[in-house]
Amino acid sequence: MKGLVTKFFQWFIGLSALGMVMWALLDTNTRNQFLTGPGLASGALIAAISLGLVVTYRGSGVVNFANSAIAMYVAYVYAVLRRDGDLFLPPLPNPFALIEGVAHKLDSASTLDLPDWPTRISFGPDMQFLPALLISLLFAVLLGLALHYLIFRPLRSAPPLAKVVASIGLFLYLQAVIVRRFSIQPFAVESMPFFSGSKPLKLPLGISMNSDELAIAILVLVLTGALYAVFQLTRFGLATRAASENEKGAVVLGFSPEFLAGTNWVISTVITGLLGIFAATVLRTVDPSVLPALIIPALTAALVGSFTSFGWTTFAAMVLGMQYGLVKYLEAQHHWFPKSAGSAFPGMERVLPLVVIVLVLYLRGKSLPTRGAISSGRLPFSPTPPRWATRYAGPALALAAAVCGLFVFGPTFRLALANSLIGIIICLSIVVITGYVGQISLAQMAFAGISAYLVAKMTTEHNVPFPIPIFIGAIVAMFVGVLVALPALRVRGVNLAIVTLAFAVAVDRAVFGNQSVNGGFKGAPVKVPSLIAQPRDVQYKILGFIAGDGKQPNPMTALFCLVVVVVLCYAVANLRRSATGRRLLATRSNERAAAAAGVNVSGMKILAFAVSAFIAGIGGAVSAYRFGGVTPDKFNYVQSLTFFAFAYLGGITSVAGSISGGLLVAGGLVFTFASETLGVPSEFTLILGGLGLIIASVRNPEGIAGAARQMGQAVQHKFARQRPSGDTADGSSATPATEKAGAH
Amino acid sequence: MTTLLQTTSMSVTFGGLKAVNEVDFAVQKGQLVGLIGPNGAGKTTFIDGITGFVPTTGRIEFAGRDIGSLPPHRRAKLGLGRTWQSLELFDDLSVRENLQVAAEKQSVGSFFADLVAPRRSRDSSSTDWALDVLGIADLASKMPNEISQGQRKLVSAARALAARPELVCMDEPAAGLDSAESRVLGDRLRDIISAGSTIFLVDHDMGLVLNVCDYIYVIEFGVKIAEGTPSEIQKNPRVIEAYLGHSAEEETH
Repeated sequence: MKGLVTKFFQWFIGLSALGMVMWALLDTNTRNQFLTGPGLASGALIAAISLGLVVTYRGSGVVNFANSAIAMYVAYVYAVLRRDGDLFLPPLPNPFALIEGVAHKLDSASTLDLPDWPTRISFGPDMQFLPALLISLLFAVLLGLALHYLIFRPLRSAPPLAKVVASIGLFLYLQAVIVRRFSIQPFAVESMPFFSGSKPLKLPLGISMNSDELAIAILVLVLTGALYAVFQLTRFGLATRAASENEKGAVVLGFSPEFLAGTNWVISTVITGLLGIFAATVLRTVDPSVLPALIIPALTAALVGSFTSFGWTTFAAMVLGMQYGLVKYLEAQHHWFPKSAGSAFPGMERVLPLVVIVLVLYLRGKSLPTRGAISSGRLPFSPTPPRWATRYAGPALALAAAVCGLFVFGPTFRLALANSLIGIIICLSIVVITGYVGQISLAQMAFAGISAYLVAKMTTEHNVPFPIPIFIGAIVAMFVGVLVALPALRVRGVNLAIVTLAFAVAVDRAVFGNQSVNGGFKGAPVKVPSLIAQPRDVQYKILGFIAGDGKQPNPMTALFCLVVVVVLCYAVANLRRSATGRRLLATRSNERAAAAAGVNVSGMKILAFAVSAFIAGIGGAVSAYRFGGVTPDKFNYVQSLTFFAFAYLGGITSVAGSISGGLLVAGGLVFTFASETLGVPSEFTLILGGLGLIIASVRNPEGIAGAARQMGQAVQHKFARQRPSGDTADGSSATPATEKAGAH
Repeated sequence: MTTLLQTTSMSVTFGGLKAVNEVDFAVQKGQLVGLIGPNGAGKTTFIDGITGFVPTTGRIEFAGRDIGSLPPHRRAKLGLGRTWQSLELFDDLSVRENLQVAAEKQSVGSFFADLVAPRRSRDSSSTDWALDVLGIADLASKMPNEISQGQRKLVSAARALAARPELVCMDEPAAGLDSAESRVLGDRLRDIISAGSTIFLVDHDMGLVLNVCDYIYVIEFGVKIAEGTPSEIQKNPRVIEAYLGHSAEEETH
């Protein structure tokens, strides 16, 4: 019965989607907005990314969130080759730079110049189209091999979380490299020689478009057909399909699963790169902020095709690309279009992918995994906070932070301290949802932003006194979090990451991009009580000591952040040590067994989303007070990914990990120290963060805090070796009775 | 004697296949009831159906209440526990914590209390009892990956018992045990019954089931083919044909 209803809905939604596309094509007005050259070109670009996604997934089971960044990167390689004749190389961390920095610190006259990584290989100027294309595609082949051998092969049996994290690290790294080398501005791309100067084609039904726009659409169709043929008709394709079901099947056919995964990685990067290059030449530009965001529609399209069907994926990608123009047209034409403050609601074209994703996943999802559907690899271990940490280390650390913030740090480090403290709050919110319950949420900054903008509204328009707005903002964020959790009840692993990422993008464009919310160009101001207002050059006398150096920022700002952080750290640590924490971890470990033990699995997920969004909401509110205003760039989807990266890098399963993660965030203490004291440029934050994330996901899923814990344990074991068989568990919830029992 | 669990023409359908077909079945309070059947007869699916992990048709009554439409965790809270053939321990939690998850009652209030006072004293008697009755108190602070497969089996059973269930459904607890171990297991099961629980035992170890059970059901291809006391089952010609004859033959070789 239930199956029938779902079937009916699947058909209903599928047919109505087709109907809408037909309607848009049949009506002359909408057709001219829908079936346009730029629409086809952006559809082709989305198809490029999503076809690559599908090939990678079929070949290795990885959903590569970085595929849009790969398209951008290869397009840049091509564009720079055409412009300068140079093949630029990605920057890698150079330990010599640190030595140079230290030498400079010790002796400012030092001109120590140690070797550096080469930044480019020059082929001479005036590179023609074909050689540039070939070199770019060769680069794509090498990139595909590198991704397979260095990152995803070691992660083969890792849980989905580790693979998502690695691909997010790759995304951040590639984007940061491009921004570092070529700035955030769009980069002009020369057109292809065959098409330059050709006139727009007049097609039947009054459609007109440039010949290169038509050509790329045809190229996409040809490649889709070719992929279909390869996967359906060749032994290689058969083996890949077999391997995705059962790796032994591929071995029987005479292919190693390793070979299949590697080859499919190369096919994926080449197709993504090729179409990325063509789309860039058609659109005449590559843009390091617009292009990576296309991962959302691309993931949507791949989901429509169940990460298997090339035809459906391309179809959905083309529709998603072409709808931008149509939505813009409908905005202008129709009174029924959602409006906000008189003008059309912004970002509706970004909301559509979210709607499609939620519908597709809801119809396909299962509320509990059936037999054998438990992930093979394990999530990083989540230790119970030891007593010494909560009793002594926590208070000592808080006191040290307070003393530094009030008496020791100068202006720059006071700012960095506040940034790190806010970072800790966001990392804590990720620990609750991802560390404790294993649900991947990539929308934490969207929750934070909702709260921050509410704080702005409440303090300026309604004069709500401090600190009430923090709680109201956090509670609203919590309710939004629960709303996002609803799909999480039927969706798990990577799919949940996709939903939350799409949600982050939709909220970013439709809410934070809305002028009546974001206060336009200046941002939304926040009225801050003067005690904690940051731009105050005040000094305080505390216990006879002078706090602050009479310069901005006000030392009380960081102190306020610190108070919030301490309260939240204890709450999150207590959660882990409590019965609720055990239930959350049981849910993460094994949903079926948890349900059989009487744990309400859905309830636990909703609870975790609520707590996590609440904490993120507090983070957003604190950030609003700390900056005295709210701007959308602090809360966009890249920020959500970035904080996720630092939370994972610090250690996603513990409070100690959150503290490490907070220290690492952009503008936080670690990178401020690196740039102020060691002279490492601050743009390296994201490059190192992305790279660190990739390495952490492959080598050490417990992050920095986990590495420290393991080292501590190793030392303990060394000292305990003399004693007769000391117990190995880390004293988790040991009552005296069990401690005695364990000592036997 | 009161009826604790009763199914009336319960069926489980996968696609076109009826894995469990119109089975009438009852467990009396304080009994040890067994279910046997050849491989693929639908034994595990039957437990999945009773405990709510697969959708069922027909009626399932537990302690006088229709539970057919309740989700698994609600059935567990009503006192219907289960173990898994594949054990399914919480690998991230210590043995004691595994049991605590099942033993501890939660409410909205206790969540907020947990944020402030996570280690406030809780009643640990059911956890300690479950550890003791299965003789694994010395494993309490170990992690599941630090103990042997046999010990993991006991932990899995202890976790189901720690919730003090009215009825615990055990899915092939004897699988992989040798005959001596399986006799020890039988004794433990009788201990649990004398402590006031009821057990529904699913196994294909005929010896164990015939020795310890008070009442036995036999299914084949999802259909109930016999029920009765162990001596009745041993004499039942259909059972001998479907299961015993075959297995007795095997045992003689």
